[in-house]
Amino acid sequence: MSFEYAPAIALLPLVSFAIALTVGSRMPKKGAFAGIAATGGSLLLSLLAVRQVAGGEHHNEELLVWAGAGAGTELELTFGILIDPLSALMLIIVSLVAFLVHVFSLGYMNDEGEVGLPRYYAGLGLFTFSMLAFVYASNLLQAFMFFELVGLCSWLLIGFWFREAAPPSAAKKAFLVTRFGDFFFLVGVVGVAVTFAGATETPLAFAGAESFPVVAEEVVEGSMGAGELATFGFAPQTWFTILGLLVLGGVVGKSAQFPLHTWLPDAMEGPTPVSALIHAATMVAAGVFLVARMYGFYAVSPQALAIIAFVGGFTALFAATMGVVKDEIKQVLAYSTISQYGYMMLALGAGGYIAGVFHLMTHAFFKALLFLGAGSVIIAMHHEEDMWKMGGLKQKMPVTYWTFLAGSLALAGIFPFAGFWSKDEVLFEALVHGLGASPFLLAAYAMGLLAVPVTAFYTFRMVSLTFHGEARTEAAEDPHGVRWNVKFPLVVLGVLATVAGFLNMVPVVKLLGASHLGPIPLEALHDWLAHGIEGVNAEHYTLADESLTHEFAGYTAGYVGSELVTTLLSAGLSLGLAVVGAIAGYRLYDAPDPTEHTDRLGSMKTVLYDNYYQDEYQVWLAEGVTAPLAQLANRFDQGVVDGVVDGVSSVSLLSGSRVRRIQTGVVSNYAALITAGLIVLLIAVGVLGGWF
Amino acid sequence: MVLVLIEALIAACLVGAAVTFMVPDRYAGKVGLAASLVPLGIATYMFATFEASGNALMGGQLAFEEQFQWVTLGEAYALNWHVGLDGISMPLVALSTVLTSLAILSAWTPIDERQSQFYGLVLFMEAALLGVFSALDFFVWFVFWEGVLVPMYVLIGVWGGPRRKYAAIKFFVYTNVASLAMFIAFVALVFGLGDAVDTFDMPAIAAALGETGIQADAVPVPGLDVETFKILVFAALFFGFGVKVPVVPWHTWLPDAHVEAPTPVSVLLAGVLLKMGTYAMLRFNFTMLADVARDPNVAVAVGLFAAVSVIYGAMLALAQSDLKRIVAYSSVSSMGYVILGLIALTVYGVGGATFQMVSHGLISGLLFMVVGVIYNQTHTRMVQDMSGLADRMPVTVGVFVAGAFAYMGLPLMSGFAGEFFVFVGSFGSPNLPSSPVFTAVSMFGIVVVAGYLLWAMQRTLFGPFRLETDYELGRAPVQDVLPLLALLALVVLLGVAPDLAFEMIRDAVNPMVGGEVSAALGGGA
Repeated sequence: MSFEYAPAIALLPLVSFAIALTVGSRMPKKGAFAGIAATGGSLLLSLLAVRQVAGGEHHNEELLVWAGAGAGTELELTFGILIDPLSALMLIIVSLVAFLVHVFSLGYMNDEGEVGLPRYYAGLGLFTFSMLAFVYASNLLQAFMFFELVGLCSWLLIGFWFREAAPPSAAKKAFLVTRFGDFFFLVGVVGVAVTFAGATETPLAFAGAESFPVVAEEVVEGSMGAGELATFGFAPQTWFTILGLLVLGGVVGKSAQFPLHTWLPDAMEGPTPVSALIHAATMVAAGVFLVARMYGFYAVSPQALAIIAFVGGFTALFAATMGVVKDEIKQVLAYSTISQYGYMMLALGAGGYIAGVFHLMTHAFFKALLFLGAGSVIIAMHHEEDMWKMGGLKQKMPVTYWTFLAGSLALAGIFPFAGFWSKDEVLFEALVHGLGASPFLLAAYAMGLLAVPVTAFYTFRMVSLTFHGEARTEAAEDPHGVRWNVKFPLVVLGVLATVAGFLNMVPVVKLLGASHLGPIPLEALHDWLAHGIEGVNAEHYTLADESLTHEFAGYTAGYVGSELVTTLLSAGLSLGLAVVGAIAGYRLYDAPDPTEHTDRLGSMKTVLYDNYYQDEYQVWLAEGVTAPLAQLANRFDQGVVDGVVDGVSSVSLLSGSRVRRIQTGVVSNYAALITAGLIVLLIAVGVLGGWF
Repeated sequence: MVLVLIEALIAACLVGAAVTFMVPDRYAGKVGLAASLVPLGIATYMFATFEASGNALMGGQLAFEEQFQWVTLGEAYALNWHVGLDGISMPLVALSTVLTSLAILSAWTPIDERQSQFYGLVLFMEAALLGVFSALDFFVWFVFWEGVLVPMYVLIGVWGGPRRKYAAIKFFVYTNVASLAMFIAFVALVFGLGDAVDTFDMPAIAAALGETGIQADAVPVPGLDVETFKILVFAALFFGFGVKVPVVPWHTWLPDAHVEAPTPVSVLLAGVLLKMGTYAMLRFNFTMLADVARDPNVAVAVGLFAAVSVIYGAMLALAQSDLKRIVAYSSVSSMGYVILGLIALTVYGVGGATFQMVSHGLISGLLFMVVGVIYNQTHTRMVQDMSGLADRMPVTVGVFVAGAFAYMGLPLMSGFAGEFFVFVGSFGSPNLPSSPVFTAVSMFGIVVVAGYLLWAMQRTLFGPFRLETDYELGRAPVQDVLPLLALLALVVLLGVAPDLAFEMIRDAVNPMVGGEVSAALGGGA
């Protein structure tokens, strides 16, 4: 069976965008049903794709030429579709979460009587289309284009409540900060195109023998000459590192990594289902996904990998500490999202390709769950988001509570929930490669490990404040009920947050020494990602004896004692720390009338409340540096540049009016002037001619 | 079958202008629109049936070519009527007709006096514009070039805002001084060819420059060697066209002219008139005098003009609080990309520059129109005077948002295509030393442009509704919104399928950069 239906996976939501935009206001649920049908269709087709990929098929086809067709250029810019294990998995994640968010929106938006719903559903449709097209983009340019389009959708949806002051401002900030990262990304795309255009037919493609990661690998390895590459005077490997880091600029922006993470907490101004879909599970994942997508290119560059790991580890810890003091439930989740994407970066940078993708998947499920759970709470609380005004919701909304708890356990990394398995694998990869290859990775690992108890702490602080204790306001006394359309997505995601980790139980495999328990595969995701298109799979990246990270970055596993001991030690350590953090968070705030306890932080308290002054300095860069600079340029332009232009005309006018004065009409004046002129002329000629 | 289509195109505009001048004011808008649809129809037909190959100045096979002797200047020089289109001029001809028709439609609401003269002048200007893009004899070309100035001067000076006299005179004098420099330089260049040419025919001059070159004894300025002479001519031409583009530092007439000009005139000014400058640069500086442009020092100088225009223009836009000034300054910035593409001298560079001319024409026209529609309703353009317009004018605001994102280079809209082609073309340009640095610096413009447009939108379109003027804000009339939607559709069409225009452009650009292995992208520096 072929993949002829593949374009429809992305195009269905585009149709729902068009429907919602044009006739949405006349439809029964203002375009919601079109969106549900479209994303449901995408989900079914994605499942079909997964089934085919499981059967060993792949798809890497050029669909159409966007620009530059035919003779006369060395560069055809194309749109294509690449379906392999990685993108098929991501297609499922995106279409599933999009589908559930559409259903949830019936409860969060329609039932709450919001206006402007056709615009909302049009935005969701356009987003889903762009995101899916990004996921199975077959080349870097196409990926960039849809990467930008999801940014537009994010702007549209953060600013959905445009009649208020804060959402449009947050939308602007989100777009600008990510645009700053995308500037580097675009330079990187252009650089990749120019660098590889002379050497291959498809310089921007992700996969295939002529793709840029494969060519880069061959050049660094020496099996292909660098003569046809344009490396601008750099050694090829250095130049690839520069290009990779440029692309990484876009990744850091989109995946909200330090220092471009500041937009994500502000983005919580958008409707909560949007936060779940765009600012937790999918769009923010686009950055990390891109690193995974072109992993072969990063794997030949040890410096790039080290930077990715370090940025990731640092962000994981840095963001987690800020999550500890937040009052609003969505703010806690936003900082948690930043922190969790840090773990994925850490994994990818540390040579844990599978671990990174695994955590990407489990996080998508449990974070979407937590956001939707928060949405359910917010409905119940009549749109109050401050956790200090909640409390005691456990009995009144059991479905939300139990699913939220499952998500929280996953986020905290408690056995056997999904997050435990994936976070453990991330830390394990960082640890063993740190031990075996580089102390730099060990530092990144240490930050990741330190973030574990902090994560568990803020997670259970959030659970306690929201659901436990006693109701602290009237709204919490008498919460608004939620309907099936809210509960159904919660239950689906709750189940996934509980069981998704079983897809990859590495410690169990190590313990049993077998990859199957009877007929049950214990590391299905591992096997899934190991295969796929030649040169673009985990086997080639990290697993094989001569894998890329081993050959080029020198990543070798180092152990404390034996491999098994290290595995158990690593898992035990992170689990232990998580449990300690969780219990501390739970106990400290599980009281009828909990107190803040933030005074214990001393001077750190203000620093944390102010988010390490990250927003301040970025606002200062915009308002304190750029704006005055622009004003200065404007004054210079008006005064000097235009002044010269006006000056030229003034000089002409002035000299005209002055010279006119000698025209007095008195004959004797003219005679005197003629005489004077003659004398001056004679003297001049005399001096020059050497008469004297 | 002999179809004198270019003549028909120009004649249709002139006849339309004459008819429109004579009808009563209240019918003038409709008659003007109808008259502009004739050249639009002809141009569409030409675009659809366009068949040409190669570059007009480099012996290419032209479409719709006409050539016959017109007058002789003594024994030495003959003036020919010579018109024809290649892949570079065809899209610009189409752009001119599209924007003229839409500008006329958008003028129905704001222009409420002397309509017949207004629409007549617009059509007259269209004739001159089409002449500029199709003429291939320098004399004919120059007559059209100057012919654009006069109606534009009157359109700003009569229908403009409070400081219209200042703006109109500044525009006229500035561009005329530039024309003078350009004219003298070009005539000197032709004299410098000695006996090699006996006409002002541009392809013939280009060929002579390439084959026999400047004769040392024919250089009109005694004591000047050939190389210096050519560089001086190049500089004078660059100045002459650079004022029109406008290139920083010769840009200061532009914001004044835009602020005072009525919306439809701004649309044509930004949409088409600026492209005369870059089009002429492409033909004269970068085709005829391409060997001067290949001098590394010259290339660096031009690259600096480009990068400074992009960044400095964007910084100026950031400092404005008048919506129209914002759009005006951002034109300076966007046209800088065109210069960058031209100096790259690669297929994607020069082709991208040409594509960007068309794309910027559509997008800046769109934004000026949208600002005009808002002004028609609110009677203000100041950012601080309004907020939350999205509440009252949803469709207009929707188009504003789309247009602004097009300006920011959102993919699948034409602006991204144009900018991306330019960047790809210039990054590895073999012609421009340190090309990656020039390219990367210029690319930072995409961040600044997002800054000022997002800021302006946040302040005016969103937030709680507020309007400081005493006007009742209603929905915009259909004739205001229709041209917006038409332009938006074109912007998206060219963004999704840029090859509709880019293919013919590349075909005409190829010979300019031809012969080099790395012609397409550069590759290796």
